[in-house]
Amino acid sequence: MVQSKKQKYWFLAFCLVPTFIMFAIFTLYPLFSGLYYSFFDWSGSSSNKEFIGFENYIKLFNDAIIPDTIVHDYFLVATKVIGIMVLAMFFAVALTQLKIKEAPFYRIVFFFPNIMSVVVIGILWTFIYNPSLGLVNSGLEFLGLEEWAKPWIGDEKWALPSLVLPAVWAGIGLFMLMLMGGIANISESYYEAAKIDGASEWQQFWRITLPLVWPQIKVSILYIVITTLNGSFILVQVMTGGGPNNSTHVMGSYLYQQAFRQYNFGYGATIGVMILILSLITVLVLQFLMRREKVEY
Amino acid sequence: MKQSVGQFLGRTGIRIPLILWTIAVLYPIFWMFLGSFKSNAEIYRNPWGWPETFNFANFTQAWTNYNIDTSVFNSLIVTVIGAVLTLVLAVPTAYAIERINFRGSKVLFTLYISGMMIPMVLGWIPLFFLLAELNLLDSIIGLSIVYAMSQLPFSIFVLTSFISTIPKSLEESAAMDGLSPYGILFKIVTPLTMSGIITVTIMNCIQFWNEYFMALIFLQTETNYTLALAIDYISSEAQYTNAWGTLFASLVIAIVPVIVLYAIFQKRIAKGMTEGAIKG
Repeated sequence: MVQSKKQKYWFLAFCLVPTFIMFAIFTLYPLFSGLYYSFFDWSGSSSNKEFIGFENYIKLFNDAIIPDTIVHDYFLVATKVIGIMVLAMFFAVALTQLKIKEAPFYRIVFFFPNIMSVVVIGILWTFIYNPSLGLVNSGLEFLGLEEWAKPWIGDEKWALPSLVLPAVWAGIGLFMLMLMGGIANISESYYEAAKIDGASEWQQFWRITLPLVWPQIKVSILYIVITTLNGSFILVQVMTGGGPNNSTHVMGSYLYQQAFRQYNFGYGATIGVMILILSLITVLVLQFLMRREKVEY
Repeated sequence: MKQSVGQFLGRTGIRIPLILWTIAVLYPIFWMFLGSFKSNAEIYRNPWGWPETFNFANFTQAWTNYNIDTSVFNSLIVTVIGAVLTLVLAVPTAYAIERINFRGSKVLFTLYISGMMIPMVLGWIPLFFLLAELNLLDSIIGLSIVYAMSQLPFSIFVLTSFISTIPKSLEESAAMDGLSPYGILFKIVTPLTMSGIITVTIMNCIQFWNEYFMALIFLQTETNYTLALAIDYISSEAQYTNAWGTLFASLVIAIVPVIVLYAIFQKRIAKGMTEGAIKG
C-alpha cells in the first residue's frame, strides 16, 4: 500500500486520540480521583478540603450501617442469581426443547422488561406492593389470606425481600435468551443418543443440557453479580430510598446519601472504593469457583 | 412421530408457568395504561379494573401542571446528542483497534472494555465537581457527554465485532484505487458497518431515554429535568397530592417510545443485548 508512515500515524491519532482524551477526562480521571478523595474530609467547597489519611476508612469500619448495606447487597446478589437463573433456565428449556408453537411470543414478552426504565419498573412495583390499592394485598385478600397482607416495602422486615421480585421480573428475559443461545448450539444427536440409551428427560437435562450450557450459565451469573453490585442502588433509590429505617440501604444508595444528600464527599468516595474492591474480589472469587473444564462430548 | 399421552400432558403442563409469567409481565404494564385514563377517585374505588370512561385529563394534567413537555424535550435532546456523540467517538476507535496494527491496541481495547465492569459510582463524585468546574453541571449538554461516555465501552465492543466481519480485501482494493485512510473509514467501512451502528444506536437511545441515576446526580433545576426525573418528582409529590392518574400518564409517556422501538427492532435489541452481555 502506498502510504507513508507519517500518514498512517496521523490517521491513527485521528481515530484514537479524541476518544481517548474524552475517556481519560470523563472516566479514568474521576475513577482515580475518587480514590484520592477518599483520603479527605470534604463537604464540597474547595476551601475546607482537609487531608485526613485513613480516617474515612476507620470511620467506614466503625459505621454500624456499612455491614448492613453489604449484607443487603449480597442478599440481593444471591436471591437474584437463584431466582433469575432457575426461572430463566426453566423457560429456556421449555421454549427450546419442547417445541412449543408460540415460543417466539413468549420470548418477545419475557424480554421486554429488560428494556424498561428502572423508574417505570420501580414505580409500577411500588404500586403492586401498595398496602391498600396494591395487587399483592388484594390478591391475598381474594385468596382469603388477609393475615398475610402487609405494607411490604414499608415494612422493615419485608422491604428488602420485596425488592427481589421486581429485579427478577425485569431481568429474566435477557438471561433466558443467553441460555437459549447456548441450548440451540447443542447438537440434536446427543439427545437422540440419550433417548436410545433410555435416559429420561430429567437425566437429559442434568447430563447434557446443563454441562453444555455451562459457559452461558457462568457468564450469566457473573453478569448478574456485577450488575447487582454496581447498580442495585438504582432500584432501591426509586422504590424505598434506603428506608424504612435503613432496612434497604445498599452500598450504592448509602454512598449517594452520604455524598449527595449529606455532603460528606470524602466519606462517600471511601464507600465507592469499598464497592470497587468488593466487586473486584467477588468477581475473582466467582471466576475461581466456577472454573470448570469445558465439557465436550 | 406420535406423541404419547404423557408428552401431550407435559406440553400442556409446561404452558401453565409460561402463561402465568406472561400475565405477570403484561398485566402490570397493561394496568399502567388503564390507570392513566382513570380519575383519581376511580383509581381508589377500582384500582385494578377497566376504566369507566377513557379520558385524557391525566395527560393534559401532566402536560400543564408538571411541565412534562419540557422533560420530554430534554430527554429527547440528551438521547440524540448522547447517541450521536457515542458514535462519533466509538466508530473511529473501533475501526483503528480492529484493523490497524499498532502497539498497544490490545491494551487499549482491554482498557475500554473494563469500563463495562468497573462500578462508576466511585467516579460520580469527582465527576460532579469536574462538571461543575467545566460549567457542565445541571446542563443537558453535560449530561449528554456523561451518557455518551457511559456507553462508550459497550459501543466500541459491539462495533469492533461488526467491523471484523467486513472482508479486508474491500479496504485493500479501495486503497489501491488511491482512497485515503479517511476515505476508507467514512466511505467504505462506515456504510458497511451500518447494521452494527444501528444496533448500537438503538441500544444507546433506549439506555439514555430510560436513565435515571446520573440525571438525579448531575441535574438540579426543574427546567432541566429529564423525563425519568420528572416522573420521580411526580411520584414523590403524589404521596401528598394523590395525583396517581397523572403519575400513570407520565409513565405511559415514558414507555411508549420504548415499546415502539421494541416493536420495530425487537430482534436487533435482543441480539445486541445478549451479545454485549456474553462477550463482555
